[in-house]
Parts: sequence; C-alpha cells; structure tokens
Amino acid sequence: MPAPKSEEDAMRIHDPHRAAAIDLFFDGKRYAAHAGESIAAALFAAGVRSLRVSPRLNQPRGMFCLMGSCQECLVMVDGRRVLACQTPVVTGMHVETVPETGIDV
Amino acid sequence: MSELNETVHDTLHKPFDVAVVGGGVMGCTTALFLARAGMRVALIERDALCRAASGVNAGTLTLHMTRAALVPYAIHAWKMWMEADEWLGEGVLATAAPGLSLAFTENERQLLRARAAARREYGAEIDLLAPNAALEVEPGLNPAMLEAAYCATDGFASAYLTGRAYRSALCAAGVQIFEIAPVTRIEQLHGRYRVHGPHTASAPLRIDAARIVMAGGVWLEPLLAMLDIHIPVKTLVNQLIVTERMPPVMRTVLSIANGLLSMKQFANGSVVIGGGWQGVGDRERGPVETIPHNLTGNLRLAQHVIPALARARVARIWLGLESETADAMPMIGALPGLDNAYVIGCVHSGYTSGPYMGKLLSQAILGNPPELPLFDPARLIAAPATQDAPALSHREHTQ
Amino acid sequence: MSETTAAFDVIVLGGGPAGAHAAITAAAAGLRVALFDENPAAGGQVYRAPIDGIAPARGADRTAGDALRRELAASTVTAFFRHPVWAVTGNYRVDATGPNGPLYCTARALIVASGTTERVVPFEGWTTPGVIGLAAATILLKSQHMLPGRSTLVAGCGPLLAAVAAKTIEGGGKVEAIVDLASTGDWARSMPAMLGRLDLLRQGFKWWRTIRRAGTPRYARHTIVRVEPVGGRLRATLAPCDAAGRVIDGEHTTVLTDCVAVGHGLTPSTEITRLMRAEHRYSRSAGGWIAVADADGRTSRPLLYVAGDGAGIAGAAAAATHGILAGLACARDLGAKDGVCDERIARARVAHRNAARFGHAMANLMALRPGHVDSIAPNTIVCRCEDVTRAEIDAACDAGAHDVNQLKAWTRCGMGPCQGRTCGDIAGELLMRRTGAHSREAVGCFSARTPLRPVTVEALTGDFSYGDIPIPKAAPL
Repeated sequence: MPAPKSEEDAMRIHDPHRAAAIDLFFDGKRYAAHAGESIAAALFAAGVRSLRVSPRLNQPRGMFCLMGSCQECLVMVDGRRVLACQTPVVTGMHVETVPETGIDV
Repeated sequence: MSELNETVHDTLHKPFDVAVVGGGVMGCTTALFLARAGMRVALIERDALCRAASGVNAGTLTLHMTRAALVPYAIHAWKMWMEADEWLGEGVLATAAPGLSLAFTENERQLLRARAAARREYGAEIDLLAPNAALEVEPGLNPAMLEAAYCATDGFASAYLTGRAYRSALCAAGVQIFEIAPVTRIEQLHGRYRVHGPHTASAPLRIDAARIVMAGGVWLEPLLAMLDIHIPVKTLVNQLIVTERMPPVMRTVLSIANGLLSMKQFANGSVVIGGGWQGVGDRERGPVETIPHNLTGNLRLAQHVIPALARARVARIWLGLESETADAMPMIGALPGLDNAYVIGCVHSGYTSGPYMGKLLSQAILGNPPELPLFDPARLIAAPATQDAPALSHREHTQ
Repeated sequence: MSETTAAFDVIVLGGGPAGAHAAITAAAAGLRVALFDENPAAGGQVYRAPIDGIAPARGADRTAGDALRRELAASTVTAFFRHPVWAVTGNYRVDATGPNGPLYCTARALIVASGTTERVVPFEGWTTPGVIGLAAATILLKSQHMLPGRSTLVAGCGPLLAAVAAKTIEGGGKVEAIVDLASTGDWARSMPAMLGRLDLLRQGFKWWRTIRRAGTPRYARHTIVRVEPVGGRLRATLAPCDAAGRVIDGEHTTVLTDCVAVGHGLTPSTEITRLMRAEHRYSRSAGGWIAVADADGRTSRPLLYVAGDGAGIAGAAAAATHGILAGLACARDLGAKDGVCDERIARARVAHRNAARFGHAMANLMALRPGHVDSIAPNTIVCRCEDVTRAEIDAACDAGAHDVNQLKAWTRCGMGPCQGRTCGDIAGELLMRRTGAHSREAVGCFSARTPLRPVTVEALTGDFSYGDIPIPKAAPL
C-alpha cells in the first residue's frame, strides 16, 4: 500500500479508482474531499469533527449516526440547513456552522 | 342508604367545599383562588394538569386575536401572566412584546381597520401603521404588506410550562388534586354533588362537594349533560407548528387581519406558528392527525409574512382541542336551575384570558360581585326539540 | 401551483430489502405500487448502493444489493427515491418532499418497511465529537470507503462489532480493542441458530481471523464508562460488567484512540406505525417497540402492514422474505389474483421462518440488557438534542412524571430535532426502572408527530403566491 500523502488520505481506504480531490470549505477554511463523499465524512476524515454546539450546555457536537436520524450533524450550505451526513460534497462547496442562537432558558 | 350514616369508609374523602372538574388553566385558577380564600377544594382532571388545550396552545397573549368584547379581560390577564411569579409562584416565561396584525390585500386592510376599531372600543390601544413604520418595528416583515395594526402590550408564554407552574401553587394552597380521573357520573344529592370516576379503577373515585365547577374544556358538553344541562360545544382541532432554533427573525407577535396566522419567536430561537388551521380529531379520540393541505396553507401564510422563515426547519406539528359555543363567546357563571353549580370555559383564545376568568368566577363563587361581568350560560341552553349543532365555525374549511 | 399527486393501490415506505421485495411482490400480483425512500437508490442500510466516484466494496452484500436494484428496476413499481416522507395521514395519503417540490400520493394500502436505528446507551462523554455509532462506522467503511480513525476503539454488542473491526483492519486502520458486552458464552449460545447460515458463520470466522491476526485485544463483558478528549485524541475508560450490562467492581482499563465506534444494538423504527395509531408492544428481543402484527405483517389497522427489521429485528435475509409475505398478504387483501395462492403464501411463511432464525439469534445478542441503563451517571446526557441529563430525568420522575410523554413535557427530553429516536428507548427504560413499573408498556413510548423528520418550510410550501392560499373564513370579531 503506497504511503499516505496526507492526513486526509490516511483516512481513506486505498482505492485507485477514487475520483480526484475537490475543494470543500468549512467556515472559510479549505479542505480536500472527493466527489460523492458526504460533507460529514469528508470533514471527519480531515480531522474536523466538531460541527456545532449543543443548545443548552454549548458542548461541541459532530456527526454521530451517519444515517440522518440523530440530527447532530446539522450545518449550513448556501444559507440552508442540511444534515452533513446526507449531503454529498460538490466542488467548491461552502459549508458553515449553523448560527445557533438565543439563550436557552 | 342515608348519607347521614355514611362513614369515611364509604366515601374516600370527607366532603369538599367545592369540586372543580377540569384541570386546565380555567379550572386550576378557579381552584387556586377558592382554596386561598379558605375553601376545601378538590380538583378532578381526566389526564394530567394542563395537558390539553392549556398545555399545547401557541401561548399567544395578543389583543389582536382576542375577540373585541373580551379585550378588557385579556388586558387584566396579560398582567397576571406577566406577574405570575408573584401570584402563582412560578412563571410560564411570559414575555411582553409588541403585536402586529397585517394586511396584504385591500380586503384585509378593511378587515384590519374594522378589527382595530372594535378592539379600541373595548380599551385596546391599537394604532395603524404604514409599511415603513411597521418595518421599523419588525424589520423582517415582507415589505409587500399594505398596513399593520400595532399594539404595544402583547406578548407570549410557554404554554407547556403551565401545568408545572400551577401544580406547585395548588399543592401549596392545599388543593386535593385527582389526576387520570375522568368523571363518569355526577349525582345530585341533598345539599351536595357526588362526582364519580370510572368503576374499573382500583380505588374508584367518589367525591362529595357542596359546590361544583365544570371547567372541562371541549368535554363540557358531555359533562354538563351529566347535570342534565344541554349546551352544544363544538370541538376545534387547531394545528400548531414549531420550528427548530433560528437566529432572530422576528421580535414581535405577528398575525394577519383575517385572524388566521399567529407567530412568535421564543427566547431559545424556535418559532411557533398557529392560527387555527384545522386538523383531524374529536373529543372522543382526542387529536388524531394533521391535514397536510392545511399545514401547507398555514406555513405559506407564515413564510409570506416573514420570508426568512423559508429556510427554517419544521421540527414538530401537533394538535390542540379548543372549545367553542354557538355564538363563539364564553360561558362563565352559575348554571341555571341548579344551586352552587358553575361553569367556566369556551373562551376564544382562552389561554390569553384564562387566569383572569378563573379569578372572576372565584369572586362570584365566594359571594362577591365579579370585577367584570360574567357570561351567562343560560343563553346557550338548547331547547330539547331543536338541538342544532352550532353554526359552522369560522375555522371550518369549506372544502 | 397545485402539488403533484397520484393514486396507487399500495404505497411501500422504505426501499431496503423488505420494502423492495414487498413492492416487487405486490406489483407482480397486478397491483399499482409506489415506493418511497429518502436515499438515491434501493438497498437500505445493509445493501447501500455504491456512490458515484467511490469504488464500491465487493462482496456478498454488493451482489445482493445489485440484484435487488435490478429486480426493482425491472418491475412496474413507481419508485420515488430522494423523496423523504414527512407525513402519512388518512387511509392513506403519503406526503413527501422531492427535488421538484412537495408531492403526495394516495393508496388503499400501506406497507411500512422503515428499518431500524442504532441504540447507544449513554456513558460519560458519549457526545464528544469522534464518538460515532457502529452502524455509522459501517457506513464510513462500506459506503464512503473511509476509516473511522487512524486508530479506532470498537465497542458495544452484536455482530457489527466484528464486522467493523475486521473491515477497519482490512482497510489499513488500527483497532485498539474490541469491547463486548457479551461473553464468549453468549456467543456460543447463539451457535445452533448460526449453523443455519453457514455462509454468514464463515464470514464471521473470517472476521475473527483478521482480528486475531492483527493482535487486537478483546475485552469480553466490558463496557465503556467514560470518553474524554485528550490532545486531539480520545481516552476511553473501560470497566467490567455483568450479564445484565451493569458495571461491576473490577479493574478499569484506559485506551487511547482516535475514534470510538460504539453501538448497543438496533431498534426498530416505528414512527410511521405509531403515527398511524396501530397497536404496539414492547419486545426486548425484537429490539424495542414494535407494531403488533400477524405472521404476514398485518397490523391492528386495516390494510396497514409492516415488514423487515422495522417489524422486529430478524436480519437481512428475513427482511426479504418478510417483504414478500407482506406483499402477498396485501395483494390478497386487496383482491389481486395473480399468483397469490395459499400454497405460495405457505411456502413464503416457511422461507421466512427459516430465514429469521439467524437474525433472531443476532437480535438476542443486541437486545437491551436489563441493567445497562443503571450505570448511566447522573451528569451524563441522555437526550442529546436538548441536553437533558439523567439527573433531570430522575428528578422529573420523582416529581411525578411516570410516563415518557409527561417526562417529555417537563424536561424536553425527546422534544428536539430527532424526536426521541436516539434517547427514547433509554428514557423509557430509565422511567420503568425508577418507577418500579412492571413493563415498558406501563411508561409508554413517545407520541409520534409530523413531520417524520425535520423538513424546511420552503420544501413544504413550494412555489406559491399569496392569492393562491385557500384561506378559511375570517375569525369572528
């Protein structure tokens, strides 16, 4: 198995047929991903595991169930709230953390 | 068997001064004030306190949606909700906020002005605003609006906290609370009422009281029938929608001139949308399911008023049952033909004025003239031969 | 402006093996069938379709999945993929959102094959980013062709443990340890049932060979009690437990890892059947709450059927046979004649019984152990969506909340975006044990609500203009 080129490549199972890397942006920072991967998986592989904070205790949260059930991986893409695990990456995609808001009383 | 020979073994409890049937905001408030005035009170509730309408409504405290004639009551109740910490001991997160009612068409503008004028007659302070003035109050509004009616003293509360808030106060006041106790039968004995629960319970409910207050919401029709009083009560099945937490997109309580939208954003960022769009349900089965077509209509109104809502995620839709009489006005007061029997309920936007209505009735029961007039139930009694269903409620969809 | 709509004889909800086979069977009997699934293709969790650009894993699952997708495409079933269903009402109307806006379909009968979600019994730090489900790790490995971490700790119970560990090792990753609630004895007791599926047994042995060759330690009768973030990695603390899943005295072990993949079994997804007010019962071995149903999948509500793991955990092979049974039952009940003879149904029942044997054994290994929730510490979050801790649940229970919906009203547990899918089983178990109730039925399950999953306002409103909104009569003055 060839030596991994990068942190991200190390997380991807070696595959000669994998599509070429594309750019993915999360809160302005650039990461490498591959077409077809979910935003959640791509960011996870890049070491970005915290996607938002919990509503009352403000603790970091990230993907958990990866099947669209737990709703933990909510992010913003083009101003829309989407589940990162259900949304495939497209080249140049800009992802932002959801502006969670308000004091929870 | 003579009641004089009954021992404590025969009845589970010594006779009460008053039995309140129905543990929503009306019944709870009445019970609370009577207990604080020294009465021995039994509060009998078919489910859990404030789990029906009182716990699932949108929490809107607005004069725009209150019927004009009920405005004076709503103004008093608004104060009570805002000061709940003082008289109830615990609050429902009542928040004061201005209220805007909107018109998007000429018809709606006429309606808006008529409704504002009618409410002003009853003491509401409502001004008309042109679009740019309305946008200053509420920047997120759809600029296509024609006119807005503005009331500075509106607000909202978190209805789901109501049960917990009342429970502590009721216990502290010594009210005996009986939950999961649907009433099946009421006997009128010499000088007292005997309220029965289902036979199947391991300790069947049987409560004697000198007075009875019927506060059973949509179940008032079958409950009053137990006293041989026949008043048709319509059950409205109101749909409510809550979104997930959003950044601030509105800061007022919003409605539309036709009365078919209510919207507010809570401190935690979620937006609650209502307005009386109907779902499926009835008083026997309770809330059953949504009507998707009506849901879409409600959401379209909401999105039209605050366009930023388009991107909000709908978290939950639920239904609440609301009671309505034939003339859509409350029935509060002594029941005709009976001694020491009272009814309270069927108040449009009942949560808004609930605590004050309960307080008024308690005044009457204690023998004092209530601060504001009550609503004589006698007017609603259907003549036995002509028991028509109430006219189609304004909320009924015609298709 | 009007929504797209169409009428069918039967609508199948869920395109996994159960749903796909139910649809194919019903269509072959001459019925007009629609199938809805939020995924881009049929296959469900177990036979996930390959994603463009990501080389698909080869193997039995891939072959079976491809065959399923081919068979469905060749049938007359109208498939609505990428169409999450948000409401099911009436007798029956299915509302969904899709790439072209909202739409709804009606049908006389409904077959619900909505599969399962994964159960994770909370422990301190389980909400830390980097802690994911075992099923999630499976999706990463099979579907995304990624490792869960440079090094991964695999924990929980059931067949997914070995599968995830082996696949991670095969993919070039390190598995720090396998932490299994079960003992070797538990697995041995499942042997007789496993002998009915030599192919799966062989698969299992291959996994264990891979795991042994890599030198991965296995901690049997152990559970994770804590995960803490430590300099970009995770430190997990393991403790011994008894057969009931309760932590017992003994040496604690710490493991440093990059990712924790943990799962304590699968639990049937019953939102739709609960929304439809069918009768339900709680079955530990079936995985949790399930609709009360006959052998062919008929529920307590006329013309409403359930099939697959969503009707009770029985495995992928049984899901397919169950789907066929439900499709036949539905076809018979609707009066379709083609190929729905008694003999065929009898054969299908036998096939299903045989197929379920292996799956039931796995289900027993995955069942919620009666003492497992006892070890949840007071400060541990139970409801992730609303940050509700065990202590708050206990306090509400002590204050009088004796059913889960009362608990929901008082603590917000289950009121968040996931609607109790993640915490519901745990909350019910905690309530049952604290109130001393005899059964889970006594404390109830969360009321199901529309929408089935969160959906944006604009996905529901579609294109509209103000004048189009059919407004009821104005409110009284």
